[in-house]
Amino acid sequence: MFKKVLIANRGEIALRINRACHELGVSTVAVFSDADRQSLHVRHADEAFCIGPGPVMRSYLNIPNIISAALISGCDAIHPGYGFLAENARFAEIAADHGLTFIGPKPSVIGAMGDKATAKRLMREAGVPTTPGSDIVASVDEARAVAEKIGYPVLLKATAGGGGKGMREVPSEAELPTAFATAQAEAEASFKDGRMYVEKLIVNPRHIEVQVLADEHGGVVHLGERDCSVQKPSHQKLIEEAPAPALDQAVRDRLHKVAVDATRAVGYTNAGTLEFLVSGDDVFFMEMNTRIQVEHPVSELVYGVDLVKEQIRVAAGETLGFTQDDLHPHGHAIEVRVNAEDPSNNFAPAAGTLTSVVFAGGPGIRVDTHVYGGAMVPPFYDSMLAKIIAVGRTRESAILRMERALSETRIEGVRTTIDFCRELLGDPEFRAGGIGVGWLPAVLARRAQLV
Amino acid sequence: MTEDVIASRARALAGALAEGGFARLRVRDGETEIELRRAPRTAPPLPAPAAAEPERAAPRADVITSDVVGVVRQLRPPVAEGVELDADRDLAYVETLGIRNPVRSRGAGRVTQVFVTDGQPVEYGQPLFAIER
Repeated sequence: MFKKVLIANRGEIALRINRACHELGVSTVAVFSDADRQSLHVRHADEAFCIGPGPVMRSYLNIPNIISAALISGCDAIHPGYGFLAENARFAEIAADHGLTFIGPKPSVIGAMGDKATAKRLMREAGVPTTPGSDIVASVDEARAVAEKIGYPVLLKATAGGGGKGMREVPSEAELPTAFATAQAEAEASFKDGRMYVEKLIVNPRHIEVQVLADEHGGVVHLGERDCSVQKPSHQKLIEEAPAPALDQAVRDRLHKVAVDATRAVGYTNAGTLEFLVSGDDVFFMEMNTRIQVEHPVSELVYGVDLVKEQIRVAAGETLGFTQDDLHPHGHAIEVRVNAEDPSNNFAPAAGTLTSVVFAGGPGIRVDTHVYGGAMVPPFYDSMLAKIIAVGRTRESAILRMERALSETRIEGVRTTIDFCRELLGDPEFRAGGIGVGWLPAVLARRAQLV
Repeated sequence: MTEDVIASRARALAGALAEGGFARLRVRDGETEIELRRAPRTAPPLPAPAAAEPERAAPRADVITSDVVGVVRQLRPPVAEGVELDADRDLAYVETLGIRNPVRSRGAGRVTQVFVTDGQPVEYGQPLFAIER
């Protein structure tokens, strides 16, 4: 086991990793920006290094300063958390070059999964169903030929893309030339990589993802699926739950099997997530996230496994302490993201001082957060303040617990998503289960018309 | 093993536990097993609101801070307190992953304080030198 781990992140996930390390008897080193000097992740770690000013390019993305802090403090491993450098293959390589274990998969696997067209091809070769479409298309004419074959509407995507950048929905042939030109220009500007591919647009699918865990000795398990279909128009997730409600058992079993097979096929190690689009009985691989995810706690609560501890154990070369047969899901868990955002104003992020903070407690409630009364929310980072997770024997009891927890929670000083999410939980369509990713944008559009 | 022997072994192990930076240590010797755990850390106090910076007395001193995380490498001979600088000069280096980043005086002045020693690890923003202009 490692002696000391550097946590290359901030916020709630830095605290989450710190907790896992301390429970394993591993010392921790936090890194922080000038803007995070008062942050709880700094206070809870055994040691801490300031790595730069507030803007992320000069602090949380500053590879030399982060590696240097790890070496100076005598760390033997780095946990990247999510976001920032978590899926940067180059960072993982540099860490290894300096004798530091990167707590995640091998750099080559991070690289392969990070390139969307490559990931899709590898998955197809492994027998994973993918959306009908193409490899890289060299021109708009090639794109047109593919689109005609698979049928409109199609989706143009940049292979280096992410966060919706370099992506265009194309309803018909008439819109194709303009969409191709603008998406490619956007990808060139954002990722310095204008390579595009085409795929069939699946209308209003569900977003269902499968959590996998693999050790370096051939052990691979899944920890069931999560339904993350409640997404803002920007495709950011807002409410997640496990297991996926109203899902045919055959589809569920197929997702699990496909995820485990694919994990083996690409030689994946550590924790990872395969994201799928689900439409009726059809499932299509979308992408694989080679890191721990924000919504990992819902799987932890249903399966009773500490995913972050397992990540650390596996990276240290240990075998998984269980097989698939040892894992039995219990009950239902749901997570709400409490963001410093204004839902009535297009989720505009807010920064400022939290004048008062009171979180919920009681049976079946877990709160993962880094904020406290008097804490500053700096303007440089993600707006998430906390994750509230509720678990119950049934979906209904988990939702009722969540509604109760949200009503207990008080955050003053900035606008948050608490009340908005509470309203969503009460929506009959959400309650019925099985909504698609188009549901929340449609709810927002209806509200906008009412105003 | 008698209780006295166990107690004396446990004391020796406690020393090793603290020195090695481990949180838990288990030693088995025949039928005797000694397990030591460091007491869990108590929660740190919440940070107090930042106090206002005390006003600095004249004359004006510039504090040169580190731009990087690394290890201080002094010049030979090292820049010491009292040294007069006639222009923008190198004061030291901060070495990061084998690269020596020069620390510059950013103009003339007199070095009034040296906050670091050769080989000392520093973080971003850590004071290195004070210079009276």
